[in-house]
Amino acid sequence: MRKEISLLEVDKEFKAITSLEFREMASQLPGDRVPIGYFCPYVPEELLHAAGALPFRLMGFPVKMSHAPAHLPPGCCHLVKSSLESLLQGELDFLKGVIFTHTCDAMKGLSEAFAFQKRIPLQFNFMMPAHLNSERSLPFLKEEIVRLKTFLEANVGEITPQGLRASIRIFNQMREKVQRLYHLRMEWPGRISGSDFARIIRAGYLLDRGRYVELLTKYLDELPRDKEGKSGHVPVYLIGNMLHSPAYFSMIEEAGAQMVSDDLCSGARFLRLMTREDIDPIEALAERYLTNFLCPTKHKGAQAHIETLLTEVEKSGAKGVIFLLYKYCETHFFDYPDLKSSLESKGFPTLLLEVEDPSYSIGQLKIRIQAFVEMLSPI
Amino acid sequence: MMAEQKFDTNPYRPIQSTGAYRRLMTAYYFMVKHPSWFGKKVAWITSGGPVEPLYAMGALPFYPENYGAMCGASRMSASLCEAAEHKGYSHDLCSYALTDLGSYLTGKGPIGRLPKPDFLVCGNNICGTVIKWYEIQARAFHVPLFFLDTPFIHDEIHEHTLRYIQGQMKDYISFLERELKRPFSERRFEEVSARSFETISLWKEILDLSRHHPAPIAAFDAFIHMAPIVTLRGTRWAVHYYKKLKKELEERIKTKTGAFAREEIRLIWDNIPIWYDIRNLSRLLASHGAVLVADTYTSAWVLDDLDLTKPLEGLARAYAVIHLNQGLNYKIKKMVNLTERYGAHGFIMHSNRSCKPYSLGQYDMRREVTRLTGRPGLIIEADHTDSRSYAPQQVEKQILMFLEIIKGKD
Ligand code: SF4
Ligand code: SF4
Repeated sequence: MRKEISLLEVDKEFKAITSLEFREMASQLPGDRVPIGYFCPYVPEELLHAAGALPFRLMGFPVKMSHAPAHLPPGCCHLVKSSLESLLQGELDFLKGVIFTHTCDAMKGLSEAFAFQKRIPLQFNFMMPAHLNSERSLPFLKEEIVRLKTFLEANVGEITPQGLRASIRIFNQMREKVQRLYHLRMEWPGRISGSDFARIIRAGYLLDRGRYVELLTKYLDELPRDKEGKSGHVPVYLIGNMLHSPAYFSMIEEAGAQMVSDDLCSGARFLRLMTREDIDPIEALAERYLTNFLCPTKHKGAQAHIETLLTEVEKSGAKGVIFLLYKYCETHFFDYPDLKSSLESKGFPTLLLEVEDPSYSIGQLKIRIQAFVEMLSPI
Repeated sequence: MMAEQKFDTNPYRPIQSTGAYRRLMTAYYFMVKHPSWFGKKVAWITSGGPVEPLYAMGALPFYPENYGAMCGASRMSASLCEAAEHKGYSHDLCSYALTDLGSYLTGKGPIGRLPKPDFLVCGNNICGTVIKWYEIQARAFHVPLFFLDTPFIHDEIHEHTLRYIQGQMKDYISFLERELKRPFSERRFEEVSARSFETISLWKEILDLSRHHPAPIAAFDAFIHMAPIVTLRGTRWAVHYYKKLKKELEERIKTKTGAFAREEIRLIWDNIPIWYDIRNLSRLLASHGAVLVADTYTSAWVLDDLDLTKPLEGLARAYAVIHLNQGLNYKIKKMVNLTERYGAHGFIMHSNRSCKPYSLGQYDMRREVTRLTGRPGLIIEADHTDSRSYAPQQVEKQILMFLEIIKGKD
């Protein structure tokens, strides 16, 4: 650690980066790393990091739409619309590159729209296979990783085997810490507020990752353990998109619930990206995408999502499940009816909330969550 | 609704082969509806899925998308979508998928209860939507699903991508052998592929005939007559039918007979048709002397690059590079090409509420195609099969204004 910092300062650093708009963040980023934007965990961040880049996750912002509607039809999710809006407003001009990966149709279209604008100097499409349980996928995926590596080496910096191993280590440490954070929240409900939690998770996608591990270590070690957290919160499981906006987490808490675990694209799913350190790093980066990590845009047999989710929900100790889905997200909305009935048949009540821009309709959502939580609470 | 009289100022010349087309499609749907009478197994397959191995193995393909179009054209789609929504499916999902799910749930539709699939074949070269849709049906019917993953081509196709798809084609064959309990015959496959190639070539030539002035067949007709290229490609039926249609259209060219009596404005159409309103739109355009001479939907079945010397590899490549699996630059080039080849005065783009692959990028495309060709483009909002959020009067007004602009230009 560079210098001893206090818990207060740690908190401040998390808050600082997450309270800024994209453009303002630029000045806060480490000067020795090339900022490269990406959206999805199917982009191997470790590779970017090893090349000397700062993997900067674009997570969607509450932004007033003024330019995007002239380029996108209305039926796109908020993440896609707001990201194009940010690009067109010049908010992302600090990025030296952006890496897209193959997920849903809207993201595919967004990648094309970004390329068409030619505002970001470098752009790469990493073609994550959509078929996860085919023996053809691993060799293909490895070749894609090598293609990305070649691109990064030509445009950002050399990736040595030692460098890549070191980066894998850092990201694994990050996952271990975030895992502890989740455990702490389960053990001490209410101890870490929902909005703080969302902020910490979000900061992990923006800060220099080495620095983030330092901050998180400090946070976890020094978080006072004497005080009891608020109890009486109803444990819920959250399913949804990239939704680490503090507003949603506070809203859930204020309604008397606590999110104990999740399958959010920016949340606990990240934990399933642990990378083996005892095998060839390229092999390891590829393998984890085909074994542990599962996003609903991918196919791993017709039952895979339901089975994964049921196991996870059961493990979490949640009493109910909230679906917090971006309007127009085809992937999730196709899965929803069968997931809902499977969960309910196992005794987990569900609630569906459809959201667009996080700054809207919070009040209305809160009322619905309150009613749901009341239903889950013992009489 | 416009006055009938106004429409009749430019009479439509019905295509004689339509009778044969109807008999063909009736026979096809009859077989699909009663597969056991013909000793056949039924596979549901996506419109961009490789059908040749299926026909070569004696299975019968059923195309939910083509069926969705039928439901749309017969205006049954909205109520079927509603049934799916009632089950919890979002109104914003692809309306072909909702129509299919609704038809499965209610047993309703133009052919009544759908044939139960023995297995499913899904290719994501058209969209990611079909992955989710086919997973749902695999669960509902408890049948195996074969998934052919064709990575999207943002710029060019890489060697390892091609290898990946070719490898999966081999898996596809093994899957079919397992499901159909019979060995794959190389010879039969070559025959079917050759017929498929012949059908595709015929279809390409038919669409190409509309480069003539006046166009012997309008895109609205092509939307109807495309059903065999989708469902029956690889069969003798399709070859016969398209030969017949082509002959009729060549006759028209000799006599300078257009699809409509008057053809003053030639237009290109982008995206899936608005199935429930095509007749009306076609007549509206015709009443102003405008004819749609080409489009990006029917031409999507013109597989380029089909190498018949190695059919399996050739097919893998051809299916990987289809229209919807390519990026914006390819689509812009294609629109520019259609506009120029067909001597079009402008183009109409259907911004399709529930089909993302066709509709994302259209606004940029419109500006770019106009910049490159000098031809104006119009964007109209609709949905391919679900009429509930369609505003026909507004669309008609937009089209009339657009035609005025074109008339003013020339
Ligand atoms: S998966 Fe859903 S939320 Fe994510 S980009 Fe696609 S449509 Fe948007
Ligand atoms: S989303 Fe579009 S391409 Fe995909 S099945 Fe629906 S209509 Fe076809």
